[in-house]
Amino acid sequence: MNKIKLSSIFYFLSFALVAILLVSIFSYGFSIWTSYMSLHDWKGLGGIPVFIGLGNYIEFFSNSIAIRTLINTFILAISFIISTTLLGLVLAILLDIGLKGTSIFKLIFLLPLSFSFVISATMWTWMFSPFQGTINSLLRMLGLDFLTQPWITSTEQSLLCVLIVYIWQFSGFVTLIYYAGISSISKEQIDAATVDGATLFQRYFYIIIPQLKGETIGVMVILLFYALRVFDLVYLLTGGGPALSSEVLATYMYRVTFNQNLFGYGATVGFITFLIAMLIIIPFQIFFRRR
Amino acid sequence: MRFSTRSLLYVFAIIASIFYLLPMYTLVNVSLKSTEDLVYGPVVPPRQVYFGAYQEAWTQISDYFLNSVKMTLPATIISTLLGSLSGYAFFRFRSKITNIIFLLMVTGFYVPPQAILIALIKFISSIGLYGSIYGLILTHIAYGMPITTLLFRNYYESIPKEILDSSEIDGAGEWLKFIKIIFPLSLPGMAVVLTFQFTNIWNDFLFGLVLSQGRYSQPVTVAIANLKGTTLAAWNVQMAGAAIGAIPIVIFYIFGTKLIIKGLTAGAIKA
Repeated sequence: MNKIKLSSIFYFLSFALVAILLVSIFSYGFSIWTSYMSLHDWKGLGGIPVFIGLGNYIEFFSNSIAIRTLINTFILAISFIISTTLLGLVLAILLDIGLKGTSIFKLIFLLPLSFSFVISATMWTWMFSPFQGTINSLLRMLGLDFLTQPWITSTEQSLLCVLIVYIWQFSGFVTLIYYAGISSISKEQIDAATVDGATLFQRYFYIIIPQLKGETIGVMVILLFYALRVFDLVYLLTGGGPALSSEVLATYMYRVTFNQNLFGYGATVGFITFLIAMLIIIPFQIFFRRR
Repeated sequence: MRFSTRSLLYVFAIIASIFYLLPMYTLVNVSLKSTEDLVYGPVVPPRQVYFGAYQEAWTQISDYFLNSVKMTLPATIISTLLGSLSGYAFFRFRSKITNIIFLLMVTGFYVPPQAILIALIKFISSIGLYGSIYGLILTHIAYGMPITTLLFRNYYESIPKEILDSSEIDGAGEWLKFIKIIFPLSLPGMAVVLTFQFTNIWNDFLFGLVLSQGRYSQPVTVAIANLKGTTLAAWNVQMAGAAIGAIPIVIFYIFGTKLIIKGLTAGAIKA
């Protein structure tokens, strides 16, 4: 194997060079460039960047809107990860139990995955509309007027609305992963427990769920990754409002960069997002590669 | 299972189904209403099914729909082919260095778009592709590389070793081997990657929003968002527009559920 080194390198590059170059430039080159530009005061694409060291970072961490955005992002991420993972697991178990019509339920649970956020946001804007929206209309038709909510028009509920749509969109994905995980657990073990008199609940709680650790870690990291990056849904559903109550890092970055023309500061927000993402992904990568 | 447990599970499954279906029902229901019918709200079915909103939406977004087709097809095909090549490279040539490069490639998938957005706009403008479909195609190809490489490398792992070894004896060159043996064997995997990429690229909004301009380059997702943003288009037209934008993916989904599922599970957990 050692003597074919040179031709190996040649062949390796002939297959992979284009891909490596593209990732080097578009993912890493651009991130590094962003980190450098984050050290500048730079107004607008045509403006001249002025080096200001860590000025933008100081601005970010002393700016109450930025901090609010950071907190919103974390609240959304954590509540999203926990609720989506739980719902996904419950639905996967429901599918696994094998009620009549399971294949239809499966199709229904997974359907939201196929829609783009633009489509989801359009649907849900109409769902949440306080006067004509589906949810409030339904409640009124059922005589439950007292349960109607202001939804996306309220500063207290806007983040909750975003959360509901996130759960709606991603729980099918979690269900899918768990369902595949449950299917790969040996049937003998489960049957043996059933023979020993384990109830349905015991079977899942003591035998199946403890074996889904790998899936759980994987799912949580992916969900976190989506929670950090997803811009479209917040931008189109609430626009980060009202009064910035649902602003997250991604929409904040967009707003300061393209609406306020603060390109250097936008780069800072982008790079902070990058650091948070890498802080989570790199240990995960190392952990999983070691298996 | 006791009757009461079973009934409870059904109730739960049905409530969950309503949660998932209600927004889609709203979309379809409102899109089939005439403007006068809209006052009866999104819950009551249309008094008479009306396709006018679709006609109106189509005249407003057809150009953008075509842009999406022109963008998605080449970007999907090229990124899949490039991924199949680089996936092969990382599968075939294992060493410490190539493994590190592979890990860096895959980690590239996790770089959030906000971290590259400004650089991307500057780069695409500097090569003269701002506001052009080609700029978007290039962008989608580049950001498709980590995941397509990963999916293909994992797929090649499942090809029996004997097939590769037997061709080594024949002394076939790497490229010849790839074209004659690996490529045909990888077609089922390729279908998964094509579906995955098609869905991602068709559904993209952010890159379309910042890199394209006007009716000659903006993808349909941006056009639908613009419909939503204006007060000019009535609700039924906005919903019809969204429904039209979702059609290619829904078709893909219905016929290729298995492929999409495979792509998602493989891409997610092994990444």
